[in-house]
Amino acid sequence: MTKTPTSVFRQRFSRRRFLGTTLAGMGAALTTGLPKVGLADAKTVRLGMNIPMTGDYAPWGLPGLYGCEIVAANINAAGGVKIGNDTYMIEMASYDHGYDTEKSVQGFKKLVLEDDVKMVMMLGGSTVASIIPWAMRKKMLTTTLLPSDITPDTEYLVATCESHPLYNVTGVEWLADKFPEAKTAAIITTNDIEYGKQSAATYNAAFEVAGIDVVDVNFHGFDVADFAPIVSSLLSKKPDVFCMATDVYTTPIIEQLFHQGFKGKIVSCTCDGYLDVIAKTSKEFVEGLTFQFPDFDDPALTPDKADFPDPAGFDAAFNKDHAGEWSAVAWEYPSILLNWIEAAQAAGSIEPEPVLSAMKANSSPAHTFGPGKWWGADLWGLDNAVVGNWPVVAINDGKARIQEYRSVYDWLQNNAGVLKKHMQALDLRTV
Amino acid sequence: MELFLQSVVNSFIQGGFFSLWAVGLVLVFGVMGVVNFAHGELVMVGAYSIWVLHAQYGLPYIPALCMAVLLVTTIGVLMERFLFRPKREDPLGGLINSLGVLFILQVAAHVVGGTGPAKQVAPPFSGTFVIEEFLRVPYQRLFAVAVSVAALGLLWFFLTRTRLGWSLRAMAQDREAAALQGININRTSMIAIGVSGALAGLAGALMAPMTSIHPHMGHNVIITAFIVTIVGGIGSLSGAVLAAVLYAFLHTFVTAYISGTVATMSGLLIMVLVLIVKPTGIMGKRVSE
Repeated sequence: MTKTPTSVFRQRFSRRRFLGTTLAGMGAALTTGLPKVGLADAKTVRLGMNIPMTGDYAPWGLPGLYGCEIVAANINAAGGVKIGNDTYMIEMASYDHGYDTEKSVQGFKKLVLEDDVKMVMMLGGSTVASIIPWAMRKKMLTTTLLPSDITPDTEYLVATCESHPLYNVTGVEWLADKFPEAKTAAIITTNDIEYGKQSAATYNAAFEVAGIDVVDVNFHGFDVADFAPIVSSLLSKKPDVFCMATDVYTTPIIEQLFHQGFKGKIVSCTCDGYLDVIAKTSKEFVEGLTFQFPDFDDPALTPDKADFPDPAGFDAAFNKDHAGEWSAVAWEYPSILLNWIEAAQAAGSIEPEPVLSAMKANSSPAHTFGPGKWWGADLWGLDNAVVGNWPVVAINDGKARIQEYRSVYDWLQNNAGVLKKHMQALDLRTV
Repeated sequence: MELFLQSVVNSFIQGGFFSLWAVGLVLVFGVMGVVNFAHGELVMVGAYSIWVLHAQYGLPYIPALCMAVLLVTTIGVLMERFLFRPKREDPLGGLINSLGVLFILQVAAHVVGGTGPAKQVAPPFSGTFVIEEFLRVPYQRLFAVAVSVAALGLLWFFLTRTRLGWSLRAMAQDREAAALQGININRTSMIAIGVSGALAGLAGALMAPMTSIHPHMGHNVIITAFIVTIVGGIGSLSGAVLAAVLYAFLHTFVTAYISGTVATMSGLLIMVLVLIVKPTGIMGKRVSE
């Protein structure tokens, strides 16, 4: 069988292989009590996180730092990571920009100039837009969770993990397959361009492709104290599916659905706090609630489906030290960290440019839920986002469980035009 | 019709909260002449108290609610004694001090609750009161409205039927004249902010099981309270209650039939119009220099 460059790459630099070795090494070191080989000679590579750790957006920043610290500690305990001829310890350097654009620029410059980081991980949106000119001039490898930040000019900006909100198409596709009786949907979302409208456009497209008619879309601000009037208004349109396109207010919205007697299907982008939702409603009411982000103790996160080392162990470690602080970014930033290690090993260098080149040279890059593809030119002008499979999660008997993995890439290959149409309808930037 | 009736119910419930938010602000401004920008954060402390005492430590809801009211009342009293009293002759100083308290309380909430997702409290009164399947009110909201109305009734009784209440009203009308009549300014100010704090704590404690609790939840409260206070007439308690109910109806109906963003804009627009056309508000009185 002929080996393609990609298959050779994956064989040599598979994240699972690296982490398997790392974890085995760590286990050996811990069980034998021997001094950690090579620690004295190891160099340190710093990776930066310019994220919100305080303020309204903190839940999409700080848990990611905690997650990276867990993964970095595991790697370091096993002797570090070999890149080129050197062994490196991973050190996280962070800056709290509080989702403020000015502080974001300060933080980015501090991380690059003072801390000498080799990659900067960010959440996305306006805080990324503010650093783009300087970051691109400095050729600094930067990551975002919002691929909509990508433009034809953002060569050094990549979205290798979460492709918000493209993955939402899989939930709608699954719902339409499982519940063909669902014919109408109502969407509720925040009225911002960065998260809410992007997500609404994606859901609009997904529902159109699935043959479900969207009867109303409610864009609300971040100042809603009581969702009763909004939910009453949406329910008066009698939707079969109630869709929450952003996750900031899922709990109070679902609580209102419960009290106002909604009987249809609920689909949500995320529902990290589903236990709170159950406590406020009932296990029966949320049965079947569909969203996109699994718990990491999910038995369906098997090695052949999830390219993440020991998800259950990671979940336990996180919840032991940071109980109640879990959000999807807890595993997303670590996943990006692992992407970086894989690319750095392939490049034999820790410098941003060779690492980025190695990332982009891999036509089937590692992705949390299996190999992905570089994508984005059709929508944003540059193939700098990795899209692959994404899990569809539903509540079963009070617990979030993966129902199925579906391909975001395949959906985009067939329906990018529909998505583009809905993005343009909401005045969102496309090429 | 279903949406209309549900909106009427939603409006009364919101009106109860808006009244509680605004009356405390009006009381402190009327009696002490201080614009307490930390009022929203006092509501937030009330909500956090329920999260800590009830949701985290398992204290039953009603005792937790009482403790929340007591805690916020104490914070209010301490603010008066150590921040507002020394700046009594300097309204700007009091305002700036209240901004300081605002930030301190937000940071304290971060310290207590961490920086994770917003906190949730399961409703102690679960279930929904259903009339003919189309009109539905959660029991928790019915409880909140009942307590709000009772609290406002008690406040009315206190202000109109007790000596202390008369002192408060006298000070609100003319502080110097009240002092000349032998009213103890320090004590009366402390009672005013104590009552204001109690109402804020009560509002927060009542809201806690129905909303997402986070350190910045006070923003909404203070903006709404300002709209209601200005529309009702600065310093007028009855004006604040009337404006709260009217604003709740406007906000709820515009949200239900147009959009929430337009509802918020309309509230601010009405506030501006009132300031231009009738600066004294619905029930405020013109004061001659």
